[in-house]
Amino acid sequence: MSGGANDAGGKGTMVTLTIDGRVAKVPEGATVLDAARAIGVRIPTLCQHEALEPWGGCRLCLVDVTKKDWRGWEKMVVSCMFPAEDGLAVSTATERVVATRKAVLDLLLARCPDTPLVQKLAREYGVERTSYRENPEPTDCILCGLCTRVCDAIGVSAIATVDRGAGKEVAPPFHEAPPDCIGCLACAEVCPTECIPYQTSDSARTIWGRRFEMVRCPHCGRAHITREQATFYAGRGGVPESYFTTCDACKRTQMARTFTTLSAVR
Amino acid sequence: MNGRPCVDAAPLDEILAHYPASETALIQVLQDVHRAYHYLPCDVLAKVADALDVPLAKVFSVGTFYKAFSLVPQGRTIVRVCTGTACHIRGASRLIEEIERQLEIKPGETTEDMGFTIKTVNCVGACAMAPVMIVGETYHGGAEPAKVAKYLAETEADHEN
Ligand code: SF4
Ligand code: SF4
Ligand code: FES
Ligand code: FES
Repeated sequence: MSGGANDAGGKGTMVTLTIDGRVAKVPEGATVLDAARAIGVRIPTLCQHEALEPWGGCRLCLVDVTKKDWRGWEKMVVSCMFPAEDGLAVSTATERVVATRKAVLDLLLARCPDTPLVQKLAREYGVERTSYRENPEPTDCILCGLCTRVCDAIGVSAIATVDRGAGKEVAPPFHEAPPDCIGCLACAEVCPTECIPYQTSDSARTIWGRRFEMVRCPHCGRAHITREQATFYAGRGGVPESYFTTCDACKRTQMARTFTTLSAVR
Repeated sequence: MNGRPCVDAAPLDEILAHYPASETALIQVLQDVHRAYHYLPCDVLAKVADALDVPLAKVFSVGTFYKAFSLVPQGRTIVRVCTGTACHIRGASRLIEEIERQLEIKPGETTEDMGFTIKTVNCVGACAMAPVMIVGETYHGGAEPAKVAKYLAETEADHEN
C-alpha cells in the first residue's frame, strides 16, 4: 500500500467506497488504486510501484469519481494518487476513461512503436497502430520515471531526466559514467520495459557505462554485490560492510545455525 | 571534469557566497552562473552540486531542462529574433537574413570571437511591436533590417565599457 496508508498502525479509521458498484473498505490514506486492488479490480498502471511514492506521470490509471452530493458531477482523477474517501463512487471503465486511456496509449505507441509492453496495452484498448507519426528514433523508454525515482529512494540519485519535450530522456550527468552510481541494478530491475542495459558476472558489472568490481561472499564465494554497494549501505546504516558482503543465502544459513544453537541451549 | 578544460572558479565562489547552501537556491545559482560564464560549464556544475549538496544528476537535469540555459559556450551577447506568428508575418526572416549577413553565422551559432550568438525564439509576448529582436537585454520593437548594424553596434559598445 502506498503513501501513508500504514501510518495508522492498524487501528486507523477505515473508509468505505464503491468501485464499479462493488464495496471496498480500506484504511484512510489508501489510494483509489489501492482500494481497487484490494477487491481485485484491475486498473492499468505504468508509473506506479508499491515501494515508491505515487507520481501520477503516465495517466493510464485514470478513473471517474463522483459522490452523492456532487449532483451528478464527475471528475477524472489518477487513481494512483487520489485518496480513497467515504462515499466515493469510482468507475474504472466509463466511456471517457476508456477513450482517454486509449489516447494515452496511442501517444505512447507513437513514442515506442516497437515496445512489446506498450503494444500489448495498446492492443487491449484497440490500438493496433498509432494514429500519430511514429517516432523516427524508436525507444523503449516510456519515461515512467521509475528508474530515477528508485535511485532517489535509495539515496543515490545517480541518474535523472535530461532535456525537455520530445528530446527528454533518462541519463547520467553529462551522458558519462555516473560518478554517484553504486551499480545496484535497482533501476534496471524496476524498468517495466527492461530498457536499461547492464552486464553482470562473477568479476564485474557494467551499467550506465560504468564498470564495477564485484565482491565475493566470504562464505560461499558467490559474487553478488559491488564494492560500491557494500560501502554505500554500510555508510548509510552504520552496519559493518561485512554484513553486506555476506550473501543472503549465507546470512540465512548462519541465522538458522544460530537458532539451532539457541534452541539446543534452551 | 573528464579532461574538459576547467574555467575560472572565482565568479562561482562569488555567486555561491550570495546564497544559502541548499537545493532551494539551485535555479538562481544556475542563472547567475549563466550570466557570468554565458553558459553552464560542466566543472562549474559539479562544484554547484557539491556546494549546494544536490546530486549532480539533478543539477544536470535542471540545467538541461530550461531553454534559458546552455551547456555549450555562447556569445557575450545573445541576439534573439522572434519568429512567432506576428513577427513572422511582419518580416522576421528578413531580419534574420540581415543578422546572418552582419555576423556571418546562422541561428544557433556563435561568432568566433565569442561576441554574439543568434537564437530564434517563439513569441516573446510583444506581438504589437512585431517584428521583435532582442539584443542582450534590449528589446527592439518594429525592428528594421536596415538598423540591425546599429542594434548590434550598441551592445558592442557596452562590451568595451
Ligand atoms: S544501478 Fe546506479 S543508477 Fe541504477 S539505481 Fe543503482 S545506483 Fe542508481
Ligand atoms: S528507463 Fe525504464 S524505468 Fe526509466 S523511465 Fe524509461 S521506461 Fe521508465
Ligand atoms: S499509474 Fe497512475 S499515473 Fe501512472
Ligand atoms: S510573435 Fe513575436 S512577439 Fe509575438
